[in-house]
Amino acid sequence: MNTVLKSVHRIEDIMLVLLLSAMIVLASSQIVLRNLFDYGMVWADPLLRVMVLWLGLIGAIVASRGNKHIKIDLLSRYFNRTSNLLIQAFVSLFTAWICLLIAWHGAHWIKLEYTDKMIGFAGIPAWLLEIIIPLSFALIGIQYCLISLSIGRHFYRRSKIRSGLRE
Amino acid sequence: MSFAAPILLLLAIFRSPLFVVIAASAMLGFYSEDIDLSVVSIEIYRLAEMPILLAIPLFTFAGYLLGESQASTRLVNLTNHLLGWMPGGLAIVAIITCAMFTAFTGASGVTIIALGALLYPALKQAGYRENFNLGLLTSSGSLGLLFAPSLPLILFGVVAQQMNLDQPVGIDQLFLAGIFPGLLMLILLSIYSMTQPRNTSEKRSFDTRKALAALSAMKWEIPLPILVLGGIYGGYFAVSEAAAVTALYVLVVEVLIMREITIRQLPDIMRNSMVLVGGIMIIIGVSLASTNYMIDAEIPTRLFDLIQRYVDDKLTFLILLNLFLLALGMMLDIFSAIVIIVPIILPIAVGYDIHPVHLGIIFLANMQLGYFTPPVGMNLFIASYRFDKPIMTLYQATIPFFVILLIAVLIITYWPALSLVLIGG
Repeated sequence: MNTVLKSVHRIEDIMLVLLLSAMIVLASSQIVLRNLFDYGMVWADPLLRVMVLWLGLIGAIVASRGNKHIKIDLLSRYFNRTSNLLIQAFVSLFTAWICLLIAWHGAHWIKLEYTDKMIGFAGIPAWLLEIIIPLSFALIGIQYCLISLSIGRHFYRRSKIRSGLRE
Repeated sequence: MSFAAPILLLLAIFRSPLFVVIAASAMLGFYSEDIDLSVVSIEIYRLAEMPILLAIPLFTFAGYLLGESQASTRLVNLTNHLLGWMPGGLAIVAIITCAMFTAFTGASGVTIIALGALLYPALKQAGYRENFNLGLLTSSGSLGLLFAPSLPLILFGVVAQQMNLDQPVGIDQLFLAGIFPGLLMLILLSIYSMTQPRNTSEKRSFDTRKALAALSAMKWEIPLPILVLGGIYGGYFAVSEAAAVTALYVLVVEVLIMREITIRQLPDIMRNSMVLVGGIMIIIGVSLASTNYMIDAEIPTRLFDLIQRYVDDKLTFLILLNLFLLALGMMLDIFSAIVIIVPIILPIAVGYDIHPVHLGIIFLANMQLGYFTPPVGMNLFIASYRFDKPIMTLYQATIPFFVILLIAVLIITYWPALSLVLIGG
């Protein structure tokens, strides 16, 4: 399980770096081509826009790995560690539920796009461009399941140690 | 429906990721009107239909690169040699460098972390009071938000463009509109700094040789603002393309020419910057869905009618707006605040005959203050951590700066021409 997780993380990291580098090169060459040679690659602009979507959502997957999403933190200072962990476990489950719900309905939409043979641009099927949406939300959902699972395991271990001490 | 709002609010203040709270509220709305929930994914796909969004990852990456390089040291060095001889010189150096650095890196606290380490000991050595130094650096952490190409300015433009207003809001217009309000803040803070007592008799004079050396150390970064703004207003490229040029330029300068960042460091810098971008983009994505629902349900219109029953003039509305935004800036970070609140208040403000570009400047100026408004302004905690001082000390130290910038915010709010003169509005 851990090795699977690690290789998924590695793939996400590599994709981020590749996408960002490609975007810098592609966008810059567009400007050079247009201003110096009065020439533009027609497919470059829609491709760049889709890359922004992919980059953003993969970035969001990586952000959920360390629970680094933007959130309001007003109250955690007033609670002790145990209550904070319990709150975290509950909130993570809620997050997972919402994300998996979006992924589920998104997958249905992708299926329709696939059967309707919708085309995105330059002959690329639309579902291929859109698939990152259910995929990323599914992965974020799984990530938050893992977060609450690891909190649950923490409490289980602690109660075991305590009961061990009593005996 | 009515029980859901308090539950969502509770989940939000108990640290649910904000994108989840926004998505949940949109889904609840669509569900109650029997609209298939796949609409959320379809709305998120609109991220791929907005060319301007390209600017967000590219400017962010360029900012992270600048933050990792020695550019901050060189910038302080340069301004110090140019301005250090003036009364209050070093404090003005701090104000200007923080503003320039924040404009490029975003007010994510990186200014306090990167520049604070240099400026805090320097100010101390120059004989300024401890509380003045702490207050200055904490409040400077968000200074420069109004200057191009700051991310919040771009994001406000992105959100405003979704609203289909009669007056379109261009990001290049926002860049121009921010200049004078931003300068006003710098000037007021500089005047205050000049009046500060110092317990040192040391007098410095201008040293041409050292100033030229510092200028030469900075020769690759100095063209950057000219390149960005000149390119946009000279008509050579769009804002999103300016971001690509900036990213490429900074990459070449810091990695290949100055060699302050190694190629091995690049993947980590890219990854870290894209985590922030991911956090922002997913919020924009789900908020496209929630905004769409809100407009369909005519929530801003209904809210406007409600407010108009009690507030019938522009002035009262602006006063209430200031109070509301100050409270908001304390609690929400600037990106979420823009994405969640702007779609609601922008149509209302336009109803009160406020120019959308002016509203953007008012909004961001208020948010900038919120960064160090006690008790929960984010930069207060970052500074407390960075300078290892109790949070109460920082509350005290920032009071005069809060008052000065509050005056600036009020001038910006009630004098629209200051923002609009450059765009001819």
